[in-house]
Amino acid sequence: MNITGADLIGAAKLIGAGLAMIGAIGAGAGIGIVTGGAVQAMGRNPDATGTVQTNMILGIAFAEAVAIYCLVVALLILFVF
Amino acid sequence: MEPAPKKRWWRWGFNRWLVLLFIIASVVTVYGLGIAPVRPRVQLPAEHVPAIPVVLIVLAALSILLTTLVRRWEGLLAAGWFGVMALLPVFLKFQWTNTLNALVIADGLLLLLSFGVLRALNSGTLTPKGVAGAVEALLEYLYNITEGTAGKWARSVFPWFVSITLLVLIANWMELIPGVDSIGVLEKATSGTTGYPIQSLTSGIATLVQSAKGAVTQETYNLVPFVRVVSTDLNFTVALALIAVVMVQVMGVRAQHAAYFTKFWNTKTLFTKPIFGVIDFGVGLLEVVSEFSKVLSFAFRLFGNIFAGSVLLFVIGALIPVFAQSGFLLLEFFIGAIQAIVFGLLTMTFMAQAMQGHSGGGHEEA
Repeated sequence: MNITGADLIGAAKLIGAGLAMIGAIGAGAGIGIVTGGAVQAMGRNPDATGTVQTNMILGIAFAEAVAIYCLVVALLILFVF
Repeated sequence: MEPAPKKRWWRWGFNRWLVLLFIIASVVTVYGLGIAPVRPRVQLPAEHVPAIPVVLIVLAALSILLTTLVRRWEGLLAAGWFGVMALLPVFLKFQWTNTLNALVIADGLLLLLSFGVLRALNSGTLTPKGVAGAVEALLEYLYNITEGTAGKWARSVFPWFVSITLLVLIANWMELIPGVDSIGVLEKATSGTTGYPIQSLTSGIATLVQSAKGAVTQETYNLVPFVRVVSTDLNFTVALALIAVVMVQVMGVRAQHAAYFTKFWNTKTLFTKPIFGVIDFGVGLLEVVSEFSKVLSFAFRLFGNIFAGSVLLFVIGALIPVFAQSGFLLLEFFIGAIQAIVFGLLTMTFMAQAMQGHSGGGHEEA
């Protein structure tokens, strides 16, 4: 079986895409912390649910943005380069 | 007292049999006929498809029809817009892509929805039923959020919030419609790309199959779908993000006039506080960078979520052809709604921040 340069590049692409997604760890932890805090707040003060929920979604969106950057990098590696 | 009527332990519904029928049909097609879904060739840029002006002309006709139905002139505007879109590929050197088809369909659905609601409003009933009632509930929920965040500017921010949310919502949910991403023209695979052999179903209609079994040719093919979800095209998401961020600046200037720009060019404390004035000035310059990063994060958040979602659906469909995709369709339904809400909500929050000035409030970057 001959391993050509193109095969090596393909393998490196897959490894790179996998490595790029490591960044999702931080976003996962961040979203968990945000939601945990929001649920606690809603449990203690159910009247504030509306405000807490809006701010929670915003916080999740900001935390998730980082994971999405990783995802976009992985997708770029896989499908563009 | 009369005894309660005996409850039947089994109700003869209709939809459950439909679901059972579809399950049996999918098992038969995949394992009986051997037509399992293949993993399609995924590519980032939208594919070029021949322009389908017919769709646009139909939509323009629909708009004119609706105009006469509800007696409002806005429909003519829509008809004109669809007409211009139909003529663009004729007069300009214009690449018509399959995501543009999806955008046109999403616009059409949005128009239908708004005309339907308008009609319900014009009919004079105070308790709208059906779709109009659902839209009213949604708008009330969104308006309450807007009022909580933007306060007295809620009325000028609200239209942007809702139009962005509704357009993105409809565009995202188109991913769930069967036929989107899976019906199109077959294209011969060029060297360097992997293709699949085809098997003809009836005359003129063929399907890609996993392995060469029946009557197949040597060439391999790929599918270029007629309709591809518009959120998986970076052109759409970047355009929407630019509209949102530019309108944030416009709203800020409208509310605070020239004082809005002291957020970026902050010389208020430069000479009064020895060192912190310089830091404040530097922070102001960083705000400019943050405005640009808002465009990037808006665009890539929507694009990344929906594109990854559709790739997920392709891969799951190819791995486990029956049952499994339904669960992921539910997930995509949820993600599509969340992303639409988040896009609108962020636009609304940024607008509210820009209008309320620099004093107070956190600075979020993303």
